[in-house]
Amino acid sequence: MNLHFWWFFTSYLRPIIKWFLRKTTGLCELQRICYGTVSGAPRVVAVERSLNLSRTRQIRQLVDHLNDIADQKRFTDVNERKILKGAVNTVLAVKKINPKTHYQFGIAFGKCVEQIWGYRQLVAEVEHLRKICFDSDICEHERKLYDLWKYLMPEEELEGRVSKQWQTIGFQGEDPKTDFRGMGMLGLENLLFFASEYRAPAQHVLMHSQHPTYGYCFAIVGINLTSMAWVLLRDGTAKTYFYNISRSLPTIRLFHSFYSYLFYEFDKFWVQTKPQDIMQFSNVKEKFEKNIRTMLKNPCSNFKIALTVENV
Amino acid sequence: MGLLSILRKLTSTPERELRLLLLGLDNAGKTTILKILASEEVANVTPTAGFNIKSVMSDGFKLNVWDIGGQRKIRPYWKNYFENTDVLIYVVDSADKKRLEETGIELYELLSDDKLHNVPLLVYANKQDLPESLSASNLAQALGLPSIKDRAWQIQACTAVQGTGVRDGMEWVCKSIKKK
Repeated sequence: MNLHFWWFFTSYLRPIIKWFLRKTTGLCELQRICYGTVSGAPRVVAVERSLNLSRTRQIRQLVDHLNDIADQKRFTDVNERKILKGAVNTVLAVKKINPKTHYQFGIAFGKCVEQIWGYRQLVAEVEHLRKICFDSDICEHERKLYDLWKYLMPEEELEGRVSKQWQTIGFQGEDPKTDFRGMGMLGLENLLFFASEYRAPAQHVLMHSQHPTYGYCFAIVGINLTSMAWVLLRDGTAKTYFYNISRSLPTIRLFHSFYSYLFYEFDKFWVQTKPQDIMQFSNVKEKFEKNIRTMLKNPCSNFKIALTVENV
Repeated sequence: MGLLSILRKLTSTPERELRLLLLGLDNAGKTTILKILASEEVANVTPTAGFNIKSVMSDGFKLNVWDIGGQRKIRPYWKNYFENTDVLIYVVDSADKKRLEETGIELYELLSDDKLHNVPLLVYANKQDLPESLSASNLAQALGLPSIKDRAWQIQACTAVQGTGVRDGMEWVCKSIKKK
């Protein structure tokens, strides 16, 4: 029934309402959004919806074209200005907007395009990294693993590449390589970013993970959180976070920050829950994910990480 | 949940529920097997912290499959899940020769537990796609399975990431239950 109403709405009511508003305000829908909706996620989401529902041929072509560019990860620094200019000019021409009187619209709309397709490109980038398996024969992979140890355990020397010591930072056995599994290098890069860019908070979380009663496996839980971050990114739930925080083309670093936020918050949640043992992990993770999803549903949610405030 | 589904529930014969326990060392492939059974994507498996559980229908049975993490730290918790187990499924990475002894010790520890007395055993010789992997019969010999006399047992070769062999094992599970 909902579907029928939605179909009726998009096919008949929406165009009528849009026409009426256009005639009365003298502005097209995209202009009304860019002028009337606060910047950040609320505006970007509204522009995205408007573009995706558009039935104008040129707008449809523009959307397909931008999708292609983002999926092929060609939305880069060099091309970015050109692509954005092209997108803005297309909309100005199609909607017959005077660029001189509405120059602000051009700027605001361009920023939305940057976020919408930057996000789509980020999904492709993250997926690419996830598909790269950890390989002991690749020096860079090995180096990153050693770096992770160095950042997490600066006081302790690693006695060998294969060592029981890995279990102190929460890997399952003596060789972490099999633990990355389906998350591949994305899992390692996430952990490494958290450990190196948020040193004090990561140490704080690691310390919690080694608690005799409420402890958990830092690295394994971390890799499971990589999976959560990836799912939230891929199904679009994480858009609120990225659209609100990102000021330019979103990069992989922003995804790592999102991950760091999740890890820090998960640790807090775990400690608050006081689970009986590690066997409660799936339950606790499920509840945590539900909370995060609820937060992300609110377009005004702010995820400014309280990470830096806390001192260990 | 509409009226129809409630009616259907009332009229159909109550399905029999089975409790299957998936155990084995870490990185043996337990979660991948679980996902294959539930027809889910297997490319994004992560190490199991704690356990996963899924219910799947097979051969008129409702299979409640418990997949418990295999790392050493978690193994002490295995025994908390033994109660009322109908079939024990033990997963072995056939290419991990270094830990063959370890996996054997863990298996016999399970078999000697009172709560798992007489419970049929299915061993998956997983990762048959890897070049150094032992064949199912060689693995059965290496683990000394033929000397098991106190229960029905079966070894099944499989490559869980490709989904091959997993369902054949389940057929044996359902058959062995019907025989009981």
